[in-house]
Amino acid sequence: MLRAVREIEGGLKLSVNAAGRLPVLRKPPILESFLRQVYFTGVTASTGVVLRASLLGVLIIAITMDVLDADVDLAVKILLLVVFREVGPLAAATVIILRSGTAMSAEMAMMRISGQTRALRYMGIDLYDYLVVPRVAGVMVATVALTFYIQALAVAGGLLFSPFIIEATFMELASRLFDLFSPVDFYYSIIKSLLFGFAVAAACCYHGLNPPDLTQNAVPKVVTRAVTQCAMLVLTINAVFAYVVFGILFFGLVTAKV
Amino acid sequence: MSAVLQSDASPAPQLALRYLRHGAREIAIEVPVGSVRRIELPDSESKSALVTAVLKARCEPDEELELFGQPVKNLVGRARQKIRNRVGALSPIVGLINNLNAWENIALPAAYHGKPPLAEVGAITQEVLGVFGLEPRTFLARVPDELGKLERKITAFARLMVAGPELAIIESLNDGLSRAECARVAGFEQEYRRRHPAGTLIFVDIREE
Repeated sequence: MLRAVREIEGGLKLSVNAAGRLPVLRKPPILESFLRQVYFTGVTASTGVVLRASLLGVLIIAITMDVLDADVDLAVKILLLVVFREVGPLAAATVIILRSGTAMSAEMAMMRISGQTRALRYMGIDLYDYLVVPRVAGVMVATVALTFYIQALAVAGGLLFSPFIIEATFMELASRLFDLFSPVDFYYSIIKSLLFGFAVAAACCYHGLNPPDLTQNAVPKVVTRAVTQCAMLVLTINAVFAYVVFGILFFGLVTAKV
Repeated sequence: MSAVLQSDASPAPQLALRYLRHGAREIAIEVPVGSVRRIELPDSESKSALVTAVLKARCEPDEELELFGQPVKNLVGRARQKIRNRVGALSPIVGLINNLNAWENIALPAAYHGKPPLAEVGAITQEVLGVFGLEPRTFLARVPDELGKLERKITAFARLMVAGPELAIIESLNDGLSRAECARVAGFEQEYRRRHPAGTLIFVDIREE
């Protein structure tokens, strides 16, 4: 219990500190570290998701039309809702937790254990500036980019390949898509993926910089804790965000009627 | 008589470092500004305590430390940072960063603090590597794990020369080096002296009993 409270407090402090220090990104080594983070988190992850994201769109359209016996309208609507609002940001966050969250927390734990963070401090380099800010900012940008990439691939895949398995043409599906698309979905997924990226990076940095002990054995513990907490945070943010935006904002506060 | 009085009145040489450690093994060290000293301490714990105290400009309750004539106990915030900027070390405590290559390691403090300019860092690095017979183009692209012990020490020394501290501490210089390599790193003293004629250099080691 005490550890959980300490983790929440530490995580919040780290988040506030990182958010308040974003201007340090102008410093050359920090900017370089930020770009490196964007490259490793966003660019290198993008190649692995092409096929999976394209299949996602096909599956959504095919299942809704075949299993639910829906028409083109409903199928495209569900594709938009699922891909833009839910699965797109969640899939990107999952890829980032598995690929970069693990690497980031292990790397930082190793730096802490081997005394490299101490070396940075002796050189007058602030750990938040050099280690946390570029990673948090980099992962946020990469999450947004990867979310769009997955969304675009899923929608394109759905529109291009669905005509081979259902009775609808590409033009039919595409025209319905442009009719139904609303900017809210776009902003919604940007904000959500920014929050996911922030939560994932902050949790990984926090656990990486605070290993349970300073031995090599602490590294797997750090990675396990970081990944578990990232998954919990992403799911919590997803639920809270959906409730706040589509629950309270659009339909008012939901209350039970007795 | 008057000569004696004159001699008594002349100011004592200013100390770059005065360190006292009380306890079971008393340690008392005084190093005048501009000198080169070799200090041997009884154990590794005392050695790291000294280096840590100097680098942090902060001492434990059983220690007394003065840097450039100022007791560090009374220092606060910016004054402490100012003193810390005047000292540097080649020590396992200030090791290299593993995910940066040799050049990035050397240039990191300068790039972060904005001084000296990177062109100057490049020039100093080339000169230092030249003195120790290393070819910069291939050497600087390698990460610490690809470097030998001697090469890591030269990288850390180049970083120290870029920082140009008034008081430099070199800890366990010969640790893990062959006899031929020890002969090469002996050039550190000359190189430091050439670049910082008024600087103070301290070699710290463990006493062999």
